[in-house]
Amino acid sequence: MKAEVVVIGAGVIGVLTTAALLEKGISNIVVVEKNYPGSGGSFRCATGIRASFTSREHVEVMKRAIELWPILSSKYGIKYSRDGYLWVLTREQDVEFFKKVVEFQNSRGVPTRVIGPSEVQELVPTMRTEKIIAAVHDPLAGKADCFEAVLNPLRDLRKQGVSILSRTQANKLIVEDNTVKGVHTDKGVINADQVLVAAGGESRKLLKTIGIDLPIRDLPKHVMVTETFKPFIKPLIIDWSTSSYILQLLHGNFYIGADIPEQYDVEASNKIEFLRKAARVWTDYFPWLKEVYILRYWTGFYDMTPDHHPIIGPIKEVEGLYVAAGFSGHGFMMAPAVAEALAEYITGGKPVVKEFENLNYERFVRGDVIKEIAVFG
Amino acid sequence: MSQQDPRKIVVCRCENVTLSQILEAIDEGFDNLELLKRRLRVGMGPCQGTTCLLMIARILMQKTGKSFEEVFLPSNRPPIHPVKLKNFAGGGRES
Repeated sequence: MKAEVVVIGAGVIGVLTTAALLEKGISNIVVVEKNYPGSGGSFRCATGIRASFTSREHVEVMKRAIELWPILSSKYGIKYSRDGYLWVLTREQDVEFFKKVVEFQNSRGVPTRVIGPSEVQELVPTMRTEKIIAAVHDPLAGKADCFEAVLNPLRDLRKQGVSILSRTQANKLIVEDNTVKGVHTDKGVINADQVLVAAGGESRKLLKTIGIDLPIRDLPKHVMVTETFKPFIKPLIIDWSTSSYILQLLHGNFYIGADIPEQYDVEASNKIEFLRKAARVWTDYFPWLKEVYILRYWTGFYDMTPDHHPIIGPIKEVEGLYVAAGFSGHGFMMAPAVAEALAEYITGGKPVVKEFENLNYERFVRGDVIKEIAVFG
Repeated sequence: MSQQDPRKIVVCRCENVTLSQILEAIDEGFDNLELLKRRLRVGMGPCQGTTCLLMIARILMQKTGKSFEEVFLPSNRPPIHPVKLKNFAGGGRES
């Protein structure tokens, strides 16, 4: 089988990049997916979208993504809203820290603001605000439907003749004379001059087959969803001191996450500890939540890099090889901008958002990691 | 299948998904339970698929010729039955 480009991974990154490549006139594209499209992080994630980060790279890339989300939403019928984010602060020391964060964000054009408990009450009328000292509001942030974000463009890709090979595992990259020749899958070889590895947690294993070690470690994460309600809570709310969050998904379910002690690169398993922490934190802020039913609890991974920033772009040592992995928990929100940048790289250009060039793999080889003003989210 | 209008046959009662929506989705290429679930939300309601998923498996088998083992079961997660948050909010050493 021969293709112009092989995309490994049919998650939100792989699918949106393929769509972007089609727009640039590339036609013979094969997408290889080991399970079913979206089965990795894309269909597990919180679906939050924000540019309120603490590094120039994150802010600029996410700002571009936020510009693109409404365009994609309109083109593919993906539900998307800008209902904001709210970081709720219950300790004095956190307020000082966040004032600096907000200053940085404002300087880069992200309109975050420090607000008081009464404004929190206005934004979230059903929330108990007694313990809240202050909060940070990001009105530019939002959320989108992750299923529509993958499946709607996918339908379009199929119509345009892209081969989507599900249940097909890419085992090995084929490289000769430092040039990509194709991919070895469990259903046969696909020859191609350009290969994009956007395989989430599997990306590291694949690159290892040609001797490249991506510095990615998988951190288990835990989330649950409740039954649905008519939408009445708009922002995604983060309780900073407990590293927990809640949001009302566009379909109406509450999606709740909380950090519990975890180790890297272990199999993720369900833990009662998560349910206890998440339930305690959020029923405290929302007493009515006690009577709400949990429908489902699942786990997933944040693919973490040493500097919590993704690895995006061409692998210099191998002609025709591109990677997009290690999103450290922020892949979904970034996807439209990543797809745009990758399509630019693959068609011989450079990303419009120049900060993408700082997110290359080579920065780890050089020891030149991305600097954030603080580790954040 | 009966002579009834598939647009009027509700298969997933929790999410109000009709037979015609399911057949259409299968035709569009969403030809397994995992994809149908994400595309149509079948099995995502309070019953978590205990009412509809077996029926949809049968529809898939009839339409695609796949065997039961090939179409069933999509990934299963706890709790088996919806549980109120208050059951986890109290108890333990701290309350």
